Amino acid sequence: MSTYPRLQSLREINRVMTRYYLQHKLTARFKPLAYITSGAPVEILEALGIATLYPENYGALCGARKAAVGLCEVAEAAGYPADLCSYARAHVGAVLRPQDAPLRGMPRPDLLVCCTNICGTVLKWYQALAALYDIPLFILDVPFQRTTPAEPHIITYVVAQMHEFVDWLEAHTSRRLRPEQLASVIALSRQAIALWEEILELGQHRPSPVNGPDLFVAMAPVVALRGTQRAVDCYQSLKSELEQRIAQGVGAVPGERHRLLWDNIAVWHRLYRFFRPFMDAGACFVADTYTHAWTVQLDAEDPFVGMAQAYTGVFINLNLPTRLQTITDLARRFQVDGMVMHANRSCKPFSITQSDVRDELRDVLGLPVLILETDMADSRLHNEGATRERVAAFLEIL
Amino acid sequence: MPALFSNPRFQTPNPHSVIRDPQSPLGFVTAYVPEELFHAAGFTPVFIFHTSSDHGQARSHLPGFTCWAAGSVLDQALSGCLDRLTGIALAKTCDTVQGLVDLWQRNVPSMPCFHVGMPVRLDSPTARAYLLTELDDLRQRIQAQGGRAISDDDLWESIALYNQTRTLVRQVYAHAADLAPPDLYELVRAAFQTPKRLYNDNLTRLLSQPFLPPDQKTPDHSVSILLVGSELGDPILFDVLAHVGVRVVGDLLDLGERYVAVDSVMDGDPLAALADRLLALLPTPTQHHPQRSRSAHLLALVRERDADGVILARQKFCDPHGFDHVQLTQTLAQAQVPYLTLELEQASQAGQLCTRVEAFVEMITQVGG
Repeated sequence: MSTYPRLQSLREINRVMTRYYLQHKLTARFKPLAYITSGAPVEILEALGIATLYPENYGALCGARKAAVGLCEVAEAAGYPADLCSYARAHVGAVLRPQDAPLRGMPRPDLLVCCTNICGTVLKWYQALAALYDIPLFILDVPFQRTTPAEPHIITYVVAQMHEFVDWLEAHTSRRLRPEQLASVIALSRQAIALWEEILELGQHRPSPVNGPDLFVAMAPVVALRGTQRAVDCYQSLKSELEQRIAQGVGAVPGERHRLLWDNIAVWHRLYRFFRPFMDAGACFVADTYTHAWTVQLDAEDPFVGMAQAYTGVFINLNLPTRLQTITDLARRFQVDGMVMHANRSCKPFSITQSDVRDELRDVLGLPVLILETDMADSRLHNEGATRERVAAFLEIL
Repeated sequence: MPALFSNPRFQTPNPHSVIRDPQSPLGFVTAYVPEELFHAAGFTPVFIFHTSSDHGQARSHLPGFTCWAAGSVLDQALSGCLDRLTGIALAKTCDTVQGLVDLWQRNVPSMPCFHVGMPVRLDSPTARAYLLTELDDLRQRIQAQGGRAISDDDLWESIALYNQTRTLVRQVYAHAADLAPPDLYELVRAAFQTPKRLYNDNLTRLLSQPFLPPDQKTPDHSVSILLVGSELGDPILFDVLAHVGVRVVGDLLDLGERYVAVDSVMDGDPLAALADRLLALLPTPTQHHPQRSRSAHLLALVRERDADGVILARQKFCDPHGFDHVQLTQTLAQAQVPYLTLELEQASQAGQLCTRVEAFVEMITQVGG
């Protein structure tokens, strides 16, 4: 079995993320803590000095640490149907039985912040958390973006709710949002987003210095630490390391023969193991729709309008023609030879239109596309034998 | 059966016979489409219920883990069953319906698709302004798509007609215990598929007669339940309930009692009247209102109707109702209200459902002594 060069920066990112969880465990007694969805305007909380944790990120952690199945079963025993989102089931399981959960669960939050731009599941998940913890819940309702750019009345609606959100946070924490503090947090977010986009663009090089599973690990700061210097530091190091690889002609997959595009959330319960057959065949995932979703830049001129536009325009909140344009653009710019789509049983917004995306890529770009049905965290929904066979057949076509 | 059931207008299991008849039929899906706007433009809104038939057309577009309520609508469209529709309207509810909008626009391009933005937070102070803009925008889009100009007077006339329908359906529910479940839901479903004037005339006549002759009165020992679920398009469950001898005395269906519970106030701006009604409804599991708890509502309904138990019928892969199920069943368990959970699929088998409902009824009657 071949060995693959590991990125040192990923070790540092993992260390930073572990510290982030542990620090929040310690500071939760002294500082207000909010659970927040991955598409919410975290900059506002960061500027108010409110600590944030992401149950989705924790769901991924449960998957990666092979703890999700046991925790999902806890949630199922409490009545949650087994066909619901595995992040939600794993996290609810961890809330109900923290002693069996990674890091002994997440610290108890003071507030819940749910933004509906990523899916409808988060609404139900956060309603359940509000009932379990009996704490305040703010729902930031971001309508579906039917056109690009978004219709003005949608932005007006989101901006108005953001102001309401600030009032709500101030009332619950007795803190005041200072405009200059928000501006400085947004500036840090902008830096992290810009660096992240630059990192993703490096995948255009041949050979690509970075592979899909590396990006899935590396994305944690742009989700959970945006608006902080730590995210900027992480990405400056990663970018330098990737540029060094490019200068030395080192590829993430030695002997890169095929360049692939990935769609959907990672398969956390077997991250590198899942990609191993591709790597062994010289196939590198040079771009993906998942990590690309965090490249929407914030307009700093009017912070609230900028945040409303950015958070309304997240990838899975866009209509199919716009998403298709993004995907075909990625396929062209990164010169991919094919696409692998994860039909993720836990994520309907990402998965439901995949067959039509496949048809478009096949018909317009002539690309082979493989759709693999599995799950992001619940390994019971993964069929290893069938996956191996289908991947092998796909690689032969390439 | 009472004479009114011989009227073919109430024979709704085949919606396509209804669709062929009215002028400019327009399909709609989800419980937040402002039907009155389409009606005022000369369309006849017809709800597209899912059916147990599978023409195999949707499977190549949707992943296997999609709820059949949505899958069936796409299947009906792609197999030509809905060709006579002049358009389709879908309001924002769940992720699957949002995907359905995308798939519809791509795969049924000849049929206009009206997407209606609906606030998720019904209590937000800004939701009303957003919804009003959406409705105004929808009004323009409907007019542009060939409907006639919608004057305020037209809209008020349609609102009055729909208010009358809702009043009549509420009266049907008041008689729910006297009706076999298939008959009850045939009358309710007809409200979503029959031209409004015709429905209102027929139902007014129906309600002016005694519902059942004395010898057909409900037996005293019949078990009474409340039904929870989405739109329950497939009538198989109603037949099973009738077979087992269960009476439905109320429901928490997306398109059931909650949908007809609130009328539009006939005052001021008609669009505002439509918006205010949608915002005043008890939320479906896809929307949120912190002061309108679905579990508290269900428990109050159990008490008010003196129901023996609750049957929660959830479409497999329906996320909102799946999460909702936990909250509802915890509340019912705490209050010691018997409940049964049923998972419905495209090919739900009457025999299996029957066995489970029979066991549930047996449990209730044993506990009740």
